[in-house]
Amino acid sequence: MNAPTQTQNPDPSGSIGQDWTCPFCSLLCDGFRVESQQGGLKLVGSDCSKAVQGLASFGPVPAAPSATVDGREVSPDTALDAAAERLAASRMPLFGGLATDVGGMRQLVRLANQRGAILDHARGDTLMPVLRTLQDRGQMFSTLAEIRNRADLVVCIGTDAASNFPEFFRRCAPVDEAAFARRTVFVGASAPAGLQGEVDEVALQGDLFDAVAMLAALVDGRRLPAPDAALERLAQAMRASTYCVVVFEPGRLPAQGALITEAVLRIVMSLNRKTRAGAFMLGGADGLQTANAVTTWMSGLPLRSRVGPLGLDHDPLQYATDRLLEEEAVDLLLWVASLGPKPVPPATVLPRIVLGHPALAADCAAAGTVFIPVATPGINADGHLFRADGVVTLPLRALRDDGLPTVADIANALQARLALRRLATEGTP
Amino acid sequence: MSTIRLKGGRVYDPANGVDGETRDIGMRDGRIVALHPQEEVDHEYDVSGCVVMAGGIDLHTHIGGGKVNLARMMLPEDHRANRARDPLLELASNGCCTPGTLETGYRYAQMGYTAAFEPAMLAANARHAHMEMGDTPILDHGAYVMLGNEELFLEMLARGEDFERIRDYVGWSIDASKAMGVKVVNPGGISAFKFNQRKLDVDENHVHWQVTPRHVVHTLARALTELGVPHPLHIHASNLGVAGNIESTLATIDALDGLPGHLTHIQFHSYGKEGPKKFSSAARQLIEKVKAAPNVSIDVGQIIFGQTVTASGDTMRQFANADLGSPRKYVGGDIECDAGCGVVPFRYREQSYVNALQWAIGLEIFLLMDDPWRVVLTTDHPNGGPFTSYPHLIRLLMDKSFRDEQLARLHPDVAASVDLREIGRELSLYDIAIMTRAAPARLLGLADRGQLGVGAAADIAVYREDADREAMFATPEYVFKDGRLVARQGRLEAVPVGGTHFLETEFDPGIEKTIEQYAQRHLSVSYRNAKIGKDELCSCANGGALLACKVHGGRGGK
Repeated sequence: MNAPTQTQNPDPSGSIGQDWTCPFCSLLCDGFRVESQQGGLKLVGSDCSKAVQGLASFGPVPAAPSATVDGREVSPDTALDAAAERLAASRMPLFGGLATDVGGMRQLVRLANQRGAILDHARGDTLMPVLRTLQDRGQMFSTLAEIRNRADLVVCIGTDAASNFPEFFRRCAPVDEAAFARRTVFVGASAPAGLQGEVDEVALQGDLFDAVAMLAALVDGRRLPAPDAALERLAQAMRASTYCVVVFEPGRLPAQGALITEAVLRIVMSLNRKTRAGAFMLGGADGLQTANAVTTWMSGLPLRSRVGPLGLDHDPLQYATDRLLEEEAVDLLLWVASLGPKPVPPATVLPRIVLGHPALAADCAAAGTVFIPVATPGINADGHLFRADGVVTLPLRALRDDGLPTVADIANALQARLALRRLATEGTP
Repeated sequence: MSTIRLKGGRVYDPANGVDGETRDIGMRDGRIVALHPQEEVDHEYDVSGCVVMAGGIDLHTHIGGGKVNLARMMLPEDHRANRARDPLLELASNGCCTPGTLETGYRYAQMGYTAAFEPAMLAANARHAHMEMGDTPILDHGAYVMLGNEELFLEMLARGEDFERIRDYVGWSIDASKAMGVKVVNPGGISAFKFNQRKLDVDENHVHWQVTPRHVVHTLARALTELGVPHPLHIHASNLGVAGNIESTLATIDALDGLPGHLTHIQFHSYGKEGPKKFSSAARQLIEKVKAAPNVSIDVGQIIFGQTVTASGDTMRQFANADLGSPRKYVGGDIECDAGCGVVPFRYREQSYVNALQWAIGLEIFLLMDDPWRVVLTTDHPNGGPFTSYPHLIRLLMDKSFRDEQLARLHPDVAASVDLREIGRELSLYDIAIMTRAAPARLLGLADRGQLGVGAAADIAVYREDADREAMFATPEYVFKDGRLVARQGRLEAVPVGGTHFLETEFDPGIEKTIEQYAQRHLSVSYRNAKIGKDELCSCANGGALLACKVHGGRGGK
């Protein structure tokens, strides 16, 4: 196993993360510092609950936690041998979780190619409605700096944004000398406390589907028999704004959420005929954007694809983790959770290989499971992640050295072992 | 590394004035060497009956970055077919107009290309672009950073900032994004669209910043000249695709005021508004202008009939064309006070008057221009058509009867009237070697690429002579990358990681204060993270060679 890329052990206390990028949500804030206190890590400059909670899962530097095979502590090499053996025996593996960085994902795609694996992310269900809309109709998006500098109207659909992305409104707050006043409207959600500028809420008369459909029709200027007065006023405001941003959160969409993401696109496209507007998607948690971006550029197709010697096969419905495990359509699960103690690997009767945060050891002690603890980019390894908008990629820097390998290291080592096995059995690498 | 001799090929090496002479080529340690005819070598390839050229260089091809990846995601239909592949060397990757990066590298190499340059890298998306290029195997690569639409640049122009400060900013931007050059896209227009301006002519003011595209183009061209950047300002001019846009194209050339400029996918900018449909070829006007302006080079952006997708930073024009999409879908984005992106799938049809004329205009430009050193062969992949259609395009240029056959299939009004009918010129192998190797290398300042002289990098393509030039250029007999055999008769032999070409510029680091303050006030990323260091570039680019090119400034450039 290779040594991970790491910085020196820092002083026992003091500021250690001047250039720290937070890996705990897809906004990837890079304006805060981290201090080392009593062996733990303390956020400075923000009280973001996601970051505080994330840092809390990295206590005092532990002795490198052990890998396990079927619950037994083993050496790293033994764990890798066992994992390679199980992968080699699998005829249809699923690589799930995929909470990793660019480097990890690059090597996982290569490993998947060796075994014809299906790739899906722990939050694949939240990606698919968005992807479906993109594949059927497209997308029209804005990014954080554009919102900061331009958006006089922000409309949050079915989300308060702040619960799961506590820093969102601070990150896109208007610049000091802004020539516009910001108004924020929440449709079917409560406004978070302490928001600057004018804030309104629009309560739902029916469900979210009805509301966005009606809003889309009103923005389009259609005459409706019984329009909701609040939505009618909102549509007017959207058409009168100079730059309106529609925010939604894929993780909070109900089943058949693609109908909502499509309506959001219709609203934004329609607004852009006369004024300017864009959508902003609060998604991509647990490295979802990263896993999807890397899979797409290397292979040509997004997640929920199978990659292997027979080429590519993409199936957004069939290749869903829950479904594949439930139907036992796959025969092995390789689960990756390197960005924190979540996502927890699903219980299954199938053999599991888990590359995860050390705290996952307890969930991986059962027979049939190989557990290999790995480093977390931004805490004890360097790396890169994609931000929620899918445009900006930020470097993550290690705060300390916990002696853990990266996901890329493990995937690399597994590739080498599989190649050797193949050489031994077939005479080709 | 071993010594290799290519024996008895006909060599086309325009950079060294070699026009089809039969001679041997030697390689050792990745470089071209002079070998005594009796000298023993590790491998000798009999290439009699073959044409030997330097590896192809594509100086304008959208191979990596955010908009390319969005195009892949939005077009799963482009990825249904899986071609047969070598299971030992090739990983699963497919697509025709939006290929995965792996497929891009495989297919370019199989066609005899050894370098490709991404022309539209957003500074905000630079890491991502370098990552995708790093996962594009075999090919060396580099990118031009898009400038001229960032709010900071426009603000500096608007407040009349000293030119030297702007030059430092340009130098810093190249260094921070690890770029090989600078591209300007619809100068000022991407930003203007964010302020809801729908059209911007060369001498029209940006509605907010009150600066003109002319000012933007001239300032950037001057900055690059003074920084000593080898590649001229790469210009995607105003009014792309608009009937009558030849006016703005000619005005853009005037805006250069004699400074070096490279007008890209010029076909999309060479339209008149004559004739029954108010849409006509302005190829002759363009060529007359370019012939008289030795500071100007062009690439064509030839269209190829069939399905493709257009991916561009030009949100103003892409949004205007969104309704023409086929299949009808659209991706657009305003990005980080930096630039934007717009993606429109497109199907070019022979029976469409406009598409047929676009096709003819591209070919007219190739054939009317008398100096091949200033015309580079491109389809603006994938915007005019996928790069895999280059062999077809080469045949169109080299074979008048083949061209006439294609012409006969076009919309009848076009087939009956275009200038192209009258143009008898057939390009030679020497011309093709210039347009696909020697000229792009020279325009990029790659002294040791695109040529076969002693000491040059041993990037070599060997094609078996065939009267059917399409077949000949589609499947080279051998392709060598840095002296290593990477493809043989269309099959891959090795898949090395390519290197990254980038510039090291000189600038007054005092400019960083301005940039830092601006980032704090307006942007969403810390100024420190706006810079890509060399180690980081290496990790983004997958550990490939870092091919740095130091450039030295000074008034008047180098």
